[in-house]
Amino acid sequence: METSSTDLFRHITADKTAFYRAIMDVFAAAKRQYRLQLRPDEVLTEAAWTSTPPGLEEVAQALSQLAEWGNLESQPDTARVSTLSDFYRARFLYRLSRGGEAVEAGLAVFERTLRLRAELQSVALEDIDSRLQALWQLLTHDEASGNGPDVAKTHEILRDLVRVFEDLADNAQAFMAGVARSLELHQADANMVVAYKRRLIEYLERFIGDLIRRSDTIARTLDNLSTRIDPVLLLVAEREARDAAPGNTTEQADETRQRQAAWRERWKGLRGWFLATGNEPPQAELLRARARAAIPQLLSAIAAVNERRSGRSDRSADFRVLAQWFADCASEEDTHRLARAAFALHPARHFSLEVQSEKEVPASTSWLEAPPLTINPRLREYGEAAPRGPLPRVRDRSEERALMARQLAEESRQVEAARRRLAHGRPTRLSRLGELDVHEFGLFLGLLSEALAEQSGPEQAVERRTGDGLLHIRLEPLAMDSQAHVHTPAGILSGRDHLLTISLVQELA
Amino acid sequence: MSTPPFHQEARRIGELQRTQQQDEFRRALRALLMRPLMSPEHADFPAVRRQAERLREWFAREAGWPLHVDREGARLFKRPADLSDPTRGLPGYDRRRYVLLCLACAVLERADPQITLKLLGDRIMQQATDPALAARGFTFTLRTASERRELVAVCRTLLEHGVLERVAGEEANFVHESSWQHSDALYDVHRRLLAGMLAAVRGPSTWRTEDAPLDTESRLQSLVAELRVDSEQGHRDALRHHLARQLLDDPVLYTASLKADAQAYFINQRGTMAGRLCEAAGLVAEQRAEGLALVDENGQLTDVAMPAEGTEAHATLLVAEYLAQRLRQTGEPTLITEAEVADFLRNAVGRYGRYWRKSARAPGAERELAGLTLDRLHRLSLIVRDTDGLHPLPAIARFSLGQTEVRARNSDTLSLLESLT
Repeated sequence: METSSTDLFRHITADKTAFYRAIMDVFAAAKRQYRLQLRPDEVLTEAAWTSTPPGLEEVAQALSQLAEWGNLESQPDTARVSTLSDFYRARFLYRLSRGGEAVEAGLAVFERTLRLRAELQSVALEDIDSRLQALWQLLTHDEASGNGPDVAKTHEILRDLVRVFEDLADNAQAFMAGVARSLELHQADANMVVAYKRRLIEYLERFIGDLIRRSDTIARTLDNLSTRIDPVLLLVAEREARDAAPGNTTEQADETRQRQAAWRERWKGLRGWFLATGNEPPQAELLRARARAAIPQLLSAIAAVNERRSGRSDRSADFRVLAQWFADCASEEDTHRLARAAFALHPARHFSLEVQSEKEVPASTSWLEAPPLTINPRLREYGEAAPRGPLPRVRDRSEERALMARQLAEESRQVEAARRRLAHGRPTRLSRLGELDVHEFGLFLGLLSEALAEQSGPEQAVERRTGDGLLHIRLEPLAMDSQAHVHTPAGILSGRDHLLTISLVQELA
Repeated sequence: MSTPPFHQEARRIGELQRTQQQDEFRRALRALLMRPLMSPEHADFPAVRRQAERLREWFAREAGWPLHVDREGARLFKRPADLSDPTRGLPGYDRRRYVLLCLACAVLERADPQITLKLLGDRIMQQATDPALAARGFTFTLRTASERRELVAVCRTLLEHGVLERVAGEEANFVHESSWQHSDALYDVHRRLLAGMLAAVRGPSTWRTEDAPLDTESRLQSLVAELRVDSEQGHRDALRHHLARQLLDDPVLYTASLKADAQAYFINQRGTMAGRLCEAAGLVAEQRAEGLALVDENGQLTDVAMPAEGTEAHATLLVAEYLAQRLRQTGEPTLITEAEVADFLRNAVGRYGRYWRKSARAPGAERELAGLTLDRLHRLSLIVRDTDGLHPLPAIARFSLGQTEVRARNSDTLSLLESLT
């Protein structure tokens, strides 16, 4: 029957996987017992059904389905029958097909790998050591006897060595991965971990001790062997090639080369495990370091577990119960009260600003009688202590600017007019100035202050040029009892009369 | 013989150092009052560490609050004296968030030293399927944006308190419908601070099923009930701690709210007590006939500031004045309805509205604003609210300010030139 290899695995993903697996297990067991084929009724009686045993009809159907997928091969059963119904029923004998066998082997490996516990094998170290010693003795003995090496024995030792070594390497790899993830410890129940710890630590210590002790002798033996192992590997490769390829001589030479390369690689791996290559530390060293590091890691994990156990309570459980309490609260207010009691994360809360008062208020004063707060009036009035807020949007100010320009022009025109009125270069009495408008008075006051600043005594005449360098002013006091009144929109300026001369500097020049 | 200058100098330096120590102690104490679970990143953590021994003694003596300080953080277990105050929970939290926070902590307790936002969410989802929670109608799936927002809010609380520390990524995008599947954040879990999250005296899970407290009141008690020494001194200490806890944590302590024995003790001891607490914490005691408030002059020692800036704070201040005035008129406890407050605010819009944010000026907004202001006043123990309305409490009278005159700048008056006369 033509089947694709994927069909072979369909029974694992089918609806009744357990049912199919039970049947296939029977065939796998039969294979181990060297039984060639099985009848449906034998399958029915031998299988370890997980639930109630199915009917024979059902089993037969499953068997034919498995045969269709290619896991089983069937052939008509020609044994004698004793009833009519048996005769009319299609009867078959079943056995594992080649594909089915491969699937079973694969699944077995799969399961074993999954179950593989990370373990370090002290025994393997011992084995490797003894195999190497045997190899060394064999080679030395053969050399001493003058014959070539005993290839058959050497081959056996080497095969054994490789098997043990591969086991060790696999386990070491699993161990490293396991420790790295610290998988076992996190999943384990706290009690189990604590109970397990002594054993594990003792075991790790023993392994490390072994590793240190053995790896030294192993390394020395390996080193000794290295110089003469190559011809031996060639001989072994030749022996294997003889077995494998009955073809012509070139094919055989090829095969030998390949086998030799494979052996050399294994040997190199073995060396690399126990001897440093170049700058690389030997694998055994790494394993030792990792195993040593595992101990404190384990201890800290145990400490964490202990902490969890010895604490007043399991915090995680506390939080879960607390979650239920929150969920039980009748109102939101209650949740806040509960939160304050449970978490106590709230900051302090106090009034700000103390009441400022001149005298101490007696403690028996009511708040109603006591002086109230003094609050920054800005804060009281506008709700802000200082002007702030986002920058106002950019406004088009051309209109305002035009207005300002107009005002400026108007102002300078008036100032100019005031100047013309006052700065005519003729001496004038203050009492004769008459009425001054705002601009004139502004100009007048400015000039006056500049002149008076220069004056050292009330009787002295002052003469100076204004700060802007445009006007020249001369102020001469008149008689002490003279009086001048200058009428302005802001009021009347009165004082001692002076003779005032204001002239434009340009005109003087 | 006069003291040689050298000794004077030494004494001066000694005094200076004492002052500095005192300053640092005060700063550390104030920092812990504001942040009882403090991560080493906090600006005042070095001060707390240096003063740890003194602080521990002080808090234990004055308030009976345990303080733990080590390299990885500080925790002041501020057990409350007043369990009835609903305004002191976590800001912005509701029932669901509290439940989620608990579940998040439960997950973190069991988690590795690092965790991602997604993983945390997944594990919380698993925890939420607990039949005990499901029976209470709690579900959490992360499927809606609001649920993811809740998770992010819880994460931010934990980040804020230093329980989690962000290593990579960002929570912000986790809420968005389109991008949340692709955004994640990685956190370090700080176990020491996580261990400080729960302040309960007795863990809620330690009760045997038959003894477990069944209603909220007994559960509240079970979280804070401490072992008391049954002696005269023990009783006095308990009273003193009870009062100090309230004075340090709450804005005001009204004598009338205390039980008879506490009241008697308080009336006798409040002066010295207030003096001790204020000296250490840099507060000012406001002692009145009705009670005692420890006031922080610069307003740092509070989560609800008053007076403060902004529309709501301004409205709160105005309402406080209004209520104080009403209280003053009657001079005794009086009931005021929320509608009256809203009316007052409606009228205030005319005078102050232009300084307020626009949404507060809209017609009808005064109701919301009244709610917000009363909430603030409630938080500050200045009013009590019930279904009918509110009662102003005595301390509100400190805000009876009356009218403020803000004068417009008047034109400067001219002075005559003296030299001309």
